[in-house]
Amino acid sequence: MSDASAKLRLENLGKTFRREGSEVEALHGIDLDVPAGEFVSVVGASGCGKSTLLRLVDGLIPATTGTVTLHGRPVRGPGQDRALVFQQDRLLPWRTVARNVGLGLEFHGLSKKECAAKAAELLDLVGLPGFADAYPHELSGGMRQRVNIARALAVDPDVLLMDEPFAALDGQTRELMQGELLRIWAQRAKTVLFVTHQVDEAVYLSDRIVVLTARPGRVRAVLDVTLPRPRTLAVKRSPEFARHVEHVWSLIEGEVRQSMERELLAGRRDETRSREGGEHGRTVG
Amino acid sequence: MTRTRTRTLGAVSVLGGIALWELLSRTVFDPLFLPPPSAIWTRFLELAADGSLPRDLGVSARTYLLGLAFAIVGGVVAGVAMASSAPIRDLLDPWVSALNATPVIALAPLFVLMLGLGIASKVVICAIVMVFPILINTYAGFSTTDPHLVEVARAYAATRWQNYVKIKLPMALPMVLAGLRLAAAHGLVGVVVSELFGAKAGIGLLIQSSAETFDTRGLFVGVVVLGVVGVVITYALAAVERRVGRWRVVQRQEGTA
Repeated sequence: MSDASAKLRLENLGKTFRREGSEVEALHGIDLDVPAGEFVSVVGASGCGKSTLLRLVDGLIPATTGTVTLHGRPVRGPGQDRALVFQQDRLLPWRTVARNVGLGLEFHGLSKKECAAKAAELLDLVGLPGFADAYPHELSGGMRQRVNIARALAVDPDVLLMDEPFAALDGQTRELMQGELLRIWAQRAKTVLFVTHQVDEAVYLSDRIVVLTARPGRVRAVLDVTLPRPRTLAVKRSPEFARHVEHVWSLIEGEVRQSMERELLAGRRDETRSREGGEHGRTVG
Repeated sequence: MTRTRTRTLGAVSVLGGIALWELLSRTVFDPLFLPPPSAIWTRFLELAADGSLPRDLGVSARTYLLGLAFAIVGGVVAGVAMASSAPIRDLLDPWVSALNATPVIALAPLFVLMLGLGIASKVVICAIVMVFPILINTYAGFSTTDPHLVEVARAYAATRWQNYVKIKLPMALPMVLAGLRLAAAHGLVGVVVSELFGAKAGIGLLIQSSAETFDTRGLFVGVVVLGVVGVVITYALAAVERRVGRWRVVQRQEGTA
C-alpha cells in the first residue's frame, strides 16, 4: 500500500513517563502506516509499551515525540473516529447491557431511543440478542467482553483499538471470541490495531504483525501474514500457520532473553552497550 | 421464614413494651412524669383536633425540608469541589474537620438571637447540622470513584459534565445517600433543639411549652411524633439506598465468591 492511502499513521512516536524525577522511556521512534481496513497486531515482551501505544493512538495520553495522524489530521485527544476495547471489560455495573453498549452514543448526544436501537443491533452482531436488559454481573467473562466490543463498535469508529481483549478469558472462550472477532471485522471493515502477547492469536487474526523490542519499545520487525482469508480454526493446525508463529516467536524470544541479560549485566555498562550494538545489527524488516 | 419471625418478634416486642409502660404508669410511676400511652394517645387526639399539632408539625416539617435542601446543595457542591480540586480540598478541609467535630448545635441560641424567633434561625441551624454528613460522604464518594471507569468515559470522549453525571455520580451515589441518612437523623435533632430556644410554632415549641405547663402528656405527644417521623424517614432512605446500591452489593458478593 502506498503512503497516500494510509489511514492511520504513526510517525516517530515516542513516550517517556516522568514520575518524581525519574524518567522511563516506554516507546521510541515508532513509525507505522496502517491502511484502511487492515488488521494489525502489535506483539512484544511484556512491558514493551504495547498498551501505551494504543493509549497514544486513542489520545488518552499525549505523545512525548512524534505524531499520530488519522485521515491526515493529527490526533489530539479521544474522538469518535477511534474506539478502545479495554483488556478488562470495564462495563458500568449499574447499567444494563444495552445502556452500556449505548454509552459512547449517549456521550455524543444521541437520544435514548437511538442508543437503544443501535445497542440492539450490535448485541445481535456480537451474538448476545436478548441480553439487552441483563446487568453485567449476570454475564460470563466472555459475554462481558462481547459487550465491551459492542460498546466500541456502537460509536462506529474508523479504527478499533483492542488492548489484549481476550487475555482474561479461558482458552476455549478465547478461540471462540477470535473467530467471532474475525467475522465481525469482515462485516464491518474496520481498521484494527490489536495488542496481544499471544503470538498465535496475532497470527490467526492479522494481516500484519508489528513486533516491538523490549523497553523502550521500538519497531523490531513488521511481518506480513500470508495465510488466506477467511480463516477458520483449522488454519491454526496448518504448517503455514506454525511457520508464522515460529518466526514471530524467534523475534520475541530473543527480546525476552536480551532484556533478562541486560538486567543481569546492569552493573557492567560496557558489555550492555556492545550487546545493544549487536542487537541493532540483527534488526529485521 | 426468618423474615416472618423477625417481624413477629418485633411486633411482640413493641406491643409488649407499650403494655408494660401502661402498667407501670398506672401502678409504680407518677402518671404526671410518665403518663401512660393511653393518656398520650388521648392528648394526641386533642392536639390533632384543635389544629395545633398539624400546625406545629407543618412548621417543623417546612424548617426541616428547607434546611435539608440547603444542606444537600451546599454539601454536594462543596463535597464534589473538594474531591475534584486539591487546592479547594486543602483550603476547606481544616474547616470541615473542625466544624464537624464541634457540636454546632450549641450555637442554636446564638442564631435565634441573631435571626429572631421566625423560621430563618431554625433553617440555618438545621442546614448546619445536616450539611457535614452530606459533605463528608459526598467528598468520600467522589474521591473513591474507580479510575478505570472514569477512563472509559474519557476514551469515549465524554465531556466533563457527562463524566460527572453519568460515571462518577452513580458510583458515588450510595455513599452520598448514606450521608443523607445520617444527616436526616441529625436534622430532626436540629429542628427540635432550634425550636426549644424560642419559636412561634413547631414540635420543639410543643415539647417546651408542654413541659412549662406540666403537660407531660403533650410533651410525649411531641416526642412520639418525632420518633415516628424519624423511623419513617430512615426506612424510606434505607429503601432508596438499597435500590440505588444494589449493583454494589452484587459486586461485593461476586468479589468474595
